[in-house]
Amino acid sequence: MHSKVWDSIFRSKLPINTNLDRSLVIFNSLTLHIHPVKVREKAIKFSYTFYLGMISFFLFIILIVTGVLLMLYYQPAIPNAYENMKDLQYVVSNGMFLRNLHRWAAHLMVISVFLHMIRVFYAGAYKPPREFNWVVGVVLLVLTLLLSYTGYLLPFDQLSYWAVTVGVNLIQYIPVIGEKTKFLFLGGHEIGEYTLVRFYVLHCVILPLVMVLLIAFHFWRIRKDGGLH
Amino acid sequence: MCSYKTESNNENKIKRRKFLSIVGNSATGLVTFGALAVTIDFLSPNVIKERPPKFKVGPIQNIQPDTFIYEPEYRVFVVRDGNGAFYAISAICTHLGCNVKWIDSNIRNDSSVAIACPCHGSKFNRKGEVIEGPAPKGLQRFRIKLSDDDLIVDTSDIVSEEEMYLKV
Ligand code: HEM
Ligand code: FES
Repeated sequence: MHSKVWDSIFRSKLPINTNLDRSLVIFNSLTLHIHPVKVREKAIKFSYTFYLGMISFFLFIILIVTGVLLMLYYQPAIPNAYENMKDLQYVVSNGMFLRNLHRWAAHLMVISVFLHMIRVFYAGAYKPPREFNWVVGVVLLVLTLLLSYTGYLLPFDQLSYWAVTVGVNLIQYIPVIGEKTKFLFLGGHEIGEYTLVRFYVLHCVILPLVMVLLIAFHFWRIRKDGGLH
Repeated sequence: MCSYKTESNNENKIKRRKFLSIVGNSATGLVTFGALAVTIDFLSPNVIKERPPKFKVGPIQNIQPDTFIYEPEYRVFVVRDGNGAFYAISAICTHLGCNVKWIDSNIRNDSSVAIACPCHGSKFNRKGEVIEGPAPKGLQRFRIKLSDDDLIVDTSDIVSEEEMYLKV
């Protein structure tokens, strides 16, 4: 156990006896670091957070893993996209399972992020000094919804097409910049090849990247704001 | 060193630090704005593979009064009314862009519902005028012309109700 390699990875020396040892375990661990060295018992009780934030984060990890795997069989082109999805379901081994995992995790993430927000609201955990983390949270919720929305176009079936038609037409109602913004999103006047590639890049690169950075910031702020309220 | 003296003596003069920071911030602002403009420009495609705006229907002898033809690729209804006049209206709902559907082609008056949208229930009469929301305005009307025996519909030429009819 106490080889040089082990010690280089895990800084805390075993056995753990004193309070200092215990706090060093938290201090030296990236994942436990989300909590301050000393926490009130109430703040880490399951019934306080219902682990909803962590559940959201875990679902996001599942989405990244399954999403990257799906990318290996998916081409953002017409008509390839639709055919690829059918192949994933009926030709690729365990493809249907993978696709369903990705889809269900996405649905669940929207639900869990929303419940997390409600939890924070009812606990009054948005109050100073945590106001800014609430704002970061709102952006995370919007990103979660945008990821769902951009992912919805990718199978390129009838449902995708009309849902995105309706959604993009909503943008058109923005005064002054509406028409131009819609044109930029579509890369044309109606959904086409460019739209599919744009949504693909947003879904697979830009939005997840921003999401990862903001989640990191969200977690760092929890710690800096003095741990859970 | 001499500048230090004049600065402290003359309050109205811009201090060197302030001057440099104005120059620096303006340069940064300019570059940011430029980068944004160039990026938006980049994101607007110059060549789009979309179909040409005009299409042909016909010959007109085959289209009976009080019937319509649906052109799915262009999402346009070409209608021949009871008087034999032609007009073309868009099948794109003015609410959020779903395809509207002709639900009753036997309508003879303008006050009843001829066309409906499956998405949020907008209703239109046979001329494309709104009978029930949420659609904010009537379906678009396109100019229609005769060329030999065929009708040419120009989806880039949107016309008023008076101009929409082609009498033959
Ligand atoms: C991608 C979405 C999100 C993830 C992964 C996430 C993750 C987390 C985690 C792991 C915690 C620790 C406590 C817990 O598990 O409940 C937390 C706390 C917090 N979250 Fe989020 N969150 C997300 C979205 C949001 C949203 C939508 C809001 C509100 C608009 C929000 C506001 C907060 C606040 C204020 C705290 C501190 C709570 C306290 O001190 O008790 N978060 N977040
Ligand atoms: S799109 Fe037709 S009613 Fe909403």
